Amino acid sequence: MFKKIGLAVTFSPNSKALLKETKLYSDQFAAEVIFIHVGSKNDSIEARLRELISSGGFAPENINIVWGQGDPAKVINKKCIENGVDLLIAGALEKEKVIKYYIGSVARKLMRDPVCSLFILTEPQIEAKPFKKISVQIDYSYESEILVNIAYQLAIKEKASEICLIREYEVPGLAITVYDTGSTDETEKTRKIWHSEEKEKMDVFINELNLTEIKVRGVCLYGKEGWEASNFVKENNSDLLIMSAPSKKLSFIDRIFQHNEEFIFKELPCSILLIK
Amino acid sequence: MNLTPEDITRFLIAISVMLLAAKVFGELLRLIKQPSVVGEILAGIIIGPTVFGTLAPDMFNTIFANSKSTDIAIDGITNLAVIMLLLVSGLEVNLSLVFKQGKTALYTSVIGMVFPFAIGFLAAYFFPDFLGIKDPSLRLIFALFVGTALSITALPVVARTLMDLNIFKTQIGFLIIASAMFNDLIGWLVFSFILGMLGQSGHGFDISVIITSTLVFIAFMLLIGRKIFNKIIPFIQNKISYPGGILNFIFILGFLGAAFTEYIGIHAIFGAFIVGIAIGDSAHLKEQTREMVQQFVTNIFAPLFFVSIGLRVNFITSFDFVIVLIFVVLAFAGKVIGCGLGAYWGGMKKDEALAIGFGMNSRGAMEIVLGILALQAGLIHERVFVALVIMALVTSLSSAPFMSYFLKKFKNSINVNSLLTPDLVFFTDTDSKESVIEELIRKLSERYKLDYSYIKSEVMKREAIISTGLGNHLALPHAKIKISEVHFAIAISKEGIEFDSLDEKPAKIIILLLTPFDHPELQLRLISEISKKFKDEEAIKELIDSADINNFITNFKSL
Repeated sequence: MFKKIGLAVTFSPNSKALLKETKLYSDQFAAEVIFIHVGSKNDSIEARLRELISSGGFAPENINIVWGQGDPAKVINKKCIENGVDLLIAGALEKEKVIKYYIGSVARKLMRDPVCSLFILTEPQIEAKPFKKISVQIDYSYESEILVNIAYQLAIKEKASEICLIREYEVPGLAITVYDTGSTDETEKTRKIWHSEEKEKMDVFINELNLTEIKVRGVCLYGKEGWEASNFVKENNSDLLIMSAPSKKLSFIDRIFQHNEEFIFKELPCSILLIK
Repeated sequence: MNLTPEDITRFLIAISVMLLAAKVFGELLRLIKQPSVVGEILAGIIIGPTVFGTLAPDMFNTIFANSKSTDIAIDGITNLAVIMLLLVSGLEVNLSLVFKQGKTALYTSVIGMVFPFAIGFLAAYFFPDFLGIKDPSLRLIFALFVGTALSITALPVVARTLMDLNIFKTQIGFLIIASAMFNDLIGWLVFSFILGMLGQSGHGFDISVIITSTLVFIAFMLLIGRKIFNKIIPFIQNKISYPGGILNFIFILGFLGAAFTEYIGIHAIFGAFIVGIAIGDSAHLKEQTREMVQQFVTNIFAPLFFVSIGLRVNFITSFDFVIVLIFVVLAFAGKVIGCGLGAYWGGMKKDEALAIGFGMNSRGAMEIVLGILALQAGLIHERVFVALVIMALVTSLSSAPFMSYFLKKFKNSINVNSLLTPDLVFFTDTDSKESVIEELIRKLSERYKLDYSYIKSEVMKREAIISTGLGNHLALPHAKIKISEVHFAIAISKEGIEFDSLDEKPAKIIILLLTPFDHPELQLRLISEISKKFKDEEAIKELIDSADINNFITNFKSL
């Protein structure tokens, strides 16, 4: 699934937990790992880094550290491209302080402009716990099929109990049709028809994939994309949300007029796997 | 000035007559599938000076033209109605949707505004007399007004049309709605400045102060106010009596916003509209609440406003055929060409672009609101106002038929029955799954000049995942391939073919479905539609026993 994993390593409190999690996934995917450190290189820091990385369970002779200086997010992305990383693992706070959210922390910057698939762990553990409930945000596209297949493979490896496919749909402006009739009967009826159409499509979508080893269920939610998924994931106690990476770099304006991904990035409902 | 008991009685009778007429005519128009707002305006014309006032002037004067104080009361209510209309209109403007729809929406809305604005402005500036200018000294403002009047789109009529055509929840529906929302925002901003330039409201502030205050107001509401409202709304919806609490909140803020913009010198409607956008953007605002606000305004206040239009103006004496014709022609040319070109350059096909042009052409209630405000401000003559009303009615009524005509080939209108063609339905003697699939692919490949090997490989790849023998004698081999249209063929096997169906029944009706790769939802919808057709065992038996192809097609369509 993933051949080369990148991990931005620092001397932060959750570094060891992130290293342990990375070790687990590198073993699961049989993937090579490179460690990216943003900062100036010297013998003392390198020795400390190697010691830290070894404590995560990596064999000292296999530790490959790449160095870079500058804006952390930019350096990490650059090193991922240069080294052909296809999955970057990073830790992130569930919620940033208001100013930091708008300015952008390193993790949020990586999420808004990922150069490869990105695995964001909100609560990395030294004793890594497998994911029990995996949710996937889908729109029935070919990319959605890829997301579900990744979720399925991961769910089998993690022995997850269920995969939940989330389809959100909204028709802005629907309420304004009340203007013409003065009644909500028609909007209510229309919404019910749309909902049953969505459920039928979801059933066909799931059947088409023919995933038999893990229970797959679909939910169709009326409301803003991203917002509904985020709320559902919290209510459902999902511990991983798999979604497509933003199709273009999310800018400041996307934080002002939030939509889809930004609703999720603002307050991470659980760990996130962004597939590029 | 106080209202006497007699004034109050007459005022209440006038309001009741207006509401009754609005309801009766609104419902009548809905019966013939036309916007109820058209009926409400007609109601005003019939109970106003145009018809009722001419036929029974004494009775008309007794009810409607009795005293200055009741006129003021009615005027106050209709002003309140306009503010509320713009507030609810703002509630439905979803700026995120505009950003999400990207280039096509931007091209459609920007070119769809600039082009009609330009032709309206130029026509009114260079030929003001033809367009019925009232005060030649206001030539520039008049030209700006005509440009704006031609560039506006009525979101409610657009939404209604999309709903009636069953294309609301489609890409083209989202595009039209997003473009109409953007249009609304810019249109009302420009129009508010025009009213500001007329100096009809406010406290005589300098134009630079008006512009600065307006921009600060917009920025504050859309950047900070929006976030604050988003925090407050869940608290109100959950902790304060519902729906009273949230309705109060929305209207209090709407009126405060309206008061502010009126104070600084742009019209009150603009404040209400911007507050509406700021509140409506909240993800916490329940859909039920939005609909409730709409119901509240559109059942009482909006009808009063639309009926009042007919009460103010005599549509016969103010009818000027030349002005009406000019406005109608300019309206069609401006919007259909402007939005059509915008959508086409934004990547839509020719027919879709034309459909979008006609969809965006409906002016409806918003044009009338704009016209009445300009009339009140003394910017336009009654003849121009009547022309605007007629133009709004013509563009609104013609929008759906034109859109429907150009959207005939649109993907969402495709259903299984529409795909059936006699030469692609045949009886087969083959007895294996693979050979019947090959036979179906050959039929489609010959008919549509498709690559046989490519299709076969895609269909068989899909078949390898899980058998498409769906049960009840139906098999549905299918694939998403690189084509632009849906292709569909049916083989009927009287003997039946083993297809690994779940119910172990042999497949007697084998349908090959090929859908465009870039329309995955279309495939899901058609598979679901076909599966639903095959639920009734008796009907399927009758279908299999069809004597010939024509009989089969008739039976299939009736499933």
